[in-house]
Amino acid sequence: MRSIWGVIAGLLAISSICAQQAAPARPIQTFPAEQVKAGESLFVQQCAFCHGRDTGGGEDGPDLTRSKLVADDVNGNLIGNVVRNGRNNMPRFTVSDSELASLGAFIHTQKNIADAQNGQRKGVDPSDLTTGNIEKGKQYFNGTGKCVQCHSPSGDLAGVATRNPGLRLMQRMMYPRGAKAKMTVTLPSGETFSGTRAYEDEFTVALRDASGRYRSWPAAKVTVKVDDPAEAHVELLARYTDDDIHNLITYLSTLK
Amino acid sequence: MKLNYLILGLTASTLFGQGTTPDTLLKPPKDSWPAYHGDYSGRRHSGLTQINPQNVRGLTLAWAYQTGANSQIKASPILVDGVIYFSTPDNVYAVDARSGHQVWHYTYPQNKGFHIGSRGVSMYGDWLYFMTPDAHLVCLNAKDGTVRWNVVVADSARGYWTSMSPLIIRNHVLVGVSGDFDNLTGFLKSIDPETGKTQWRWDSTPPSGTPNATTGGMTWMTGTYDPESDTVYWGTGNPTPVLNGDVRPGDDPDTCSIVAIDPNTGKKKWAFQPSPHDTHDWDAVEIPVLVDADFKGSPRKMLMQASRNGYFFVLDRLTGQNLLTTTFGPVNWSTGVDAKGQPIPNKAKDPAQDGRLIAPDEGGLTNYRSPSYDPQTGLFIVSAHPSYGVYFTKPADGAFGWAGADYGVWGKGVLEAIDYQTGKIRWTHDIGPNGSGAGVLTTESGLTFTGDGQGSVLALRTSDGKTLWHAGQGQGMQSSPITYELDGRQYVLTSGGGVMFAWALPE
Repeated sequence: MRSIWGVIAGLLAISSICAQQAAPARPIQTFPAEQVKAGESLFVQQCAFCHGRDTGGGEDGPDLTRSKLVADDVNGNLIGNVVRNGRNNMPRFTVSDSELASLGAFIHTQKNIADAQNGQRKGVDPSDLTTGNIEKGKQYFNGTGKCVQCHSPSGDLAGVATRNPGLRLMQRMMYPRGAKAKMTVTLPSGETFSGTRAYEDEFTVALRDASGRYRSWPAAKVTVKVDDPAEAHVELLARYTDDDIHNLITYLSTLK
Repeated sequence: MKLNYLILGLTASTLFGQGTTPDTLLKPPKDSWPAYHGDYSGRRHSGLTQINPQNVRGLTLAWAYQTGANSQIKASPILVDGVIYFSTPDNVYAVDARSGHQVWHYTYPQNKGFHIGSRGVSMYGDWLYFMTPDAHLVCLNAKDGTVRWNVVVADSARGYWTSMSPLIIRNHVLVGVSGDFDNLTGFLKSIDPETGKTQWRWDSTPPSGTPNATTGGMTWMTGTYDPESDTVYWGTGNPTPVLNGDVRPGDDPDTCSIVAIDPNTGKKKWAFQPSPHDTHDWDAVEIPVLVDADFKGSPRKMLMQASRNGYFFVLDRLTGQNLLTTTFGPVNWSTGVDAKGQPIPNKAKDPAQDGRLIAPDEGGLTNYRSPSYDPQTGLFIVSAHPSYGVYFTKPADGAFGWAGADYGVWGKGVLEAIDYQTGKIRWTHDIGPNGSGAGVLTTESGLTFTGDGQGSVLALRTSDGKTLWHAGQGQGMQSSPITYELDGRQYVLTSGGGVMFAWALPE
């Protein structure tokens, strides 16, 4: 049964991709067909491996049809920054203004098509994730998971499910990428500097101090102390059961 | 001594000013790196000793060649007759190995294939073999980069693309293909180096549409070769659809496998499957490294692979019999190992509608970047990526191509030195958050070269992993280092972004 549904859904997805003129579900940005076609060609060559040929996700790259950044983008004003500067594991690309405009046209058009898929939309829906038990999730939060040692449902996590819907909440729950770590650097003279960690490798450490200034030192010549709150999330990764994760996400999804 | 080396080097260049020969591919002269792995074994180990743990501190830039292009260099360069050849998608560069100045640059016509990477060109006589994003094999004249012929390897309109560096054995150019976004048959092809005609083809999976059978098993990394038994060893990729395994029940034979092939006929001798019925995109294409050494007191002809799925395998390469199976980082997807030494997948860790937390992530505990085997220490050194990912699939994702979604949660880079006889990790060396794309090179003087995930190239002491030298390249290394000696001077080649760097001791 499942496989038959899969085949039908796959065929639907393919035919909808081919039908570039699918009816919009809400007021949307539209683009000339030629521009969309040029964008598709460029997208297939440079972006499709990670984001999928239909922009719906591929090897590890996010599903752009569900991306908040794409949703907020108008004529490439946000997409352009990511394409030209890179982000997380994504490398930067040199593209002309017209190439960028065509990429944006293709991505928005694909998003329009995906948004119009009611019921049988591929990818991760928020409702897919909350299969756990709210009470058990709360117990895990306060007990085994020790989440309560750093977080409060009425404090920092108040409204967290509104700010981070669905998959984004699950990802941030498991590992809050980009969370700021505190760094203190002590020089041989005894002078100390504190701030947020800006860079750290085997050879160089850097922080951004309270005034926003970037300062770096050779790692071998200073003493460094780092307090990275995200490390507690890494330790949990080896201990979670899948049930723990679903109970916890189901509980956190109530913090709206 | 130095003078002797100089004369030897010059003589070798003059005498062998004819590209590669079967003999030079079997035993590469020290003034060359004539194929992807250097030699056929895949050990990426060099006998050169001029740069050693005592003097490596003085290593300095000999030259840098800037492609000036968008693409990052992911190719392992080759070096023949004093000229370096490497590629990026649609581009081949010939560069003077002494000075870094460009000899020629070839550009392939614009095409719609995936421009994800190009792992290098290969050489037969004076001819170069280059695979393109739209799955063609192009034969170029190494002297000037002009096209001799161009043949179609696979139909890019159906979703195939190519990125690998062909493996050349006598008069066979072995080429593999990529293509995870469609349900396609994986294959290995042997092509005549003179005419471009196909000599044989080995299919890893049945034709698309065969009931209850898998597709996939792509062949996108360069294999290794044992001349004594005249056997090619090749890793195959994951089955398709990728994350939905329900429509391809069973082990999905010859996908995620190490296969032994007769290079004359394309007939399979044996197969070992690191990931039976894979549902996590863990291609087993990582380099099958060939080592002749003792295993638990007896001399063995072995094959070692640190596989993307998190397992390290040692096999008897004549029979495919398993000698050792162990993990080399966090792995949570199996229920154990079967009698053949193959991991048993845990059904509960298949992708699901509400997500499953999996170690390692889809990029794997390692990947395409080359490991190195150091014969002096018996260490297998691999750039590892301890990591977790979350995997999804549901009916709406279908049963074609990717058929689901997966996202990396967390990962870091660690260089690991594995004792191949026990699987124990003798030392580790952190190489940064997220992980590194750089491969590993070891040399007979006891040095290990690699890159960290933050743009530094590193020289470590092989015995204990201590850093002896480093330099920032400005962008992470996405290729595997090589080394050669010209005019009595040893060079180490590394890349960062679109720049090729040559390092040497001061003159």
